[in-house]
Amino acid sequence: MRSDRFLSLQTPGTAWTAGSRLFYLALLGCLITLWPSLAWAASLFAKQDGVNVTADKVPTSAVVETLNLGDEVRVLSEEGRLVKVKTAAGKTGWVFKFRLTEEKPSTGGGFGLSGLTGKTTIAAREARAGGSIRGLKESTEQYAKTKEIQQEHRDAVDRMTAYSISPEELMQFKKTGNLGEFSGGAQ
Amino acid sequence: MKTVKILAGIGILSLFLSSMGCGGSHSGQSSDQPDLIGGLGTAFGMKQEKIDLLKKGVGVVQALEPIGEAEEITLGEAVALEAFSRFGGEYQNKEWTRYINLVGQTIAEVSDRPNLPFRFAILNSQEQNAFAAPGGYIFITVDLLKTLKNEAELAGVLAHEVAHVTERHMLETIRRGAILGSVSEFTLTAMRKDPAMFSNVIEEMSELLFTKGLDRDKEFEADVVGIEYAYRAGYHPQGLRDYLKTLAREEGKVQSRFFTTHPSTNLRISKIDGLLKDYTDIKNLPFLTDRFQRYVKAG
Repeated sequence: MRSDRFLSLQTPGTAWTAGSRLFYLALLGCLITLWPSLAWAASLFAKQDGVNVTADKVPTSAVVETLNLGDEVRVLSEEGRLVKVKTAAGKTGWVFKFRLTEEKPSTGGGFGLSGLTGKTTIAAREARAGGSIRGLKESTEQYAKTKEIQQEHRDAVDRMTAYSISPEELMQFKKTGNLGEFSGGAQ
Repeated sequence: MKTVKILAGIGILSLFLSSMGCGGSHSGQSSDQPDLIGGLGTAFGMKQEKIDLLKKGVGVVQALEPIGEAEEITLGEAVALEAFSRFGGEYQNKEWTRYINLVGQTIAEVSDRPNLPFRFAILNSQEQNAFAAPGGYIFITVDLLKTLKNEAELAGVLAHEVAHVTERHMLETIRRGAILGSVSEFTLTAMRKDPAMFSNVIEEMSELLFTKGLDRDKEFEADVVGIEYAYRAGYHPQGLRDYLKTLAREEGKVQSRFFTTHPSTNLRISKIDGLLKDYTDIKNLPFLTDRFQRYVKAG
């Protein structure tokens, strides 16, 4: 049955009606439209900086390459929550698949004009009162003064903004809980 | 028909002039633009009510410009001030704060905005609630934290809030709201130059977040996306559903604005139950009850 349809495509003769021509033209149009996405279906991109490609499925195995935001990899195979990839540098290894995305991410900081700087953290720091790294941003400081918000709450926001966790501590936390790249039996 | 063509023509011309920078600065544009439209409308012999309709239309088009990430973070910082101010201030417990940040970061890095600097804090409030301010400022009250039974429940609650941020729910709501409706440019400079406008936006956001609540559809969407994030992070995605079960049993017995700012708890549970059926490989994913108990009970 399938070969009959194929033959009718190969030998367009009297059986080609206006309707069938229209159908095949539409089909051809769909194929042309879909071709780029089909051709690139095996490509994924790093969602952020510091995505490790490891030699083995074990996330603590040797790191063969660390991907930066937007770096492209070719998918060779998939096993559970991990994908085996080939990097642009030609290296092969394993990546936790939820650190990758199908669409090439923007390297900018957002949609607006300030996003064009490409470095959100710098843009955010520049906006801080007095030009210091710590402290509320100018607009927030102004707002806090106008609304007479207590100093303890301003300090709480400042502490919250500055709070950080080292990558090593987060990695250890995920490892002991079988989370992230250690999840789903990936360890 | 002729009127429609004139309306469309003036609209296109106004937008063109606006894009060419004829509107001037942010504060100038909002006042200059209607005059331009009004003048052209009068020249074409249009009635005043039609001119007003067109002005409103152009205002809506202008408001559709998305808000940038640096601006979003500044808005979030100011809303965070309101959160601490209205909900008893910061609950100071270093171990618990570290713990919720570790859980939160585990979720944030598999979210759809892993480059946004998410921060998590505990509010010293005796009502069960959790909030997400734009820019990644996430809050959970100490009473809610103490009500949870395991880390998967905590992850479920935090993932729901992270989803509000990644889906830009608050930003989308205020972008179409009354205050930003007539603002075409919302930059850091505009915020600094017009503190009254900035203050009005923060008040509108605080009212939405702490009193009125977001649209029901946005809450349901945050459930769907949050469950996906919890799953990606490796937690059993049933955590949020289990906490909502606890909450549903307490409805009517405990005081919380949660009930007025969110859709029916039982309806959410029902929708989540349907959703969880699509996750077929979750049987062995952890709830991490022991670790949660160690951190929270020890604190």
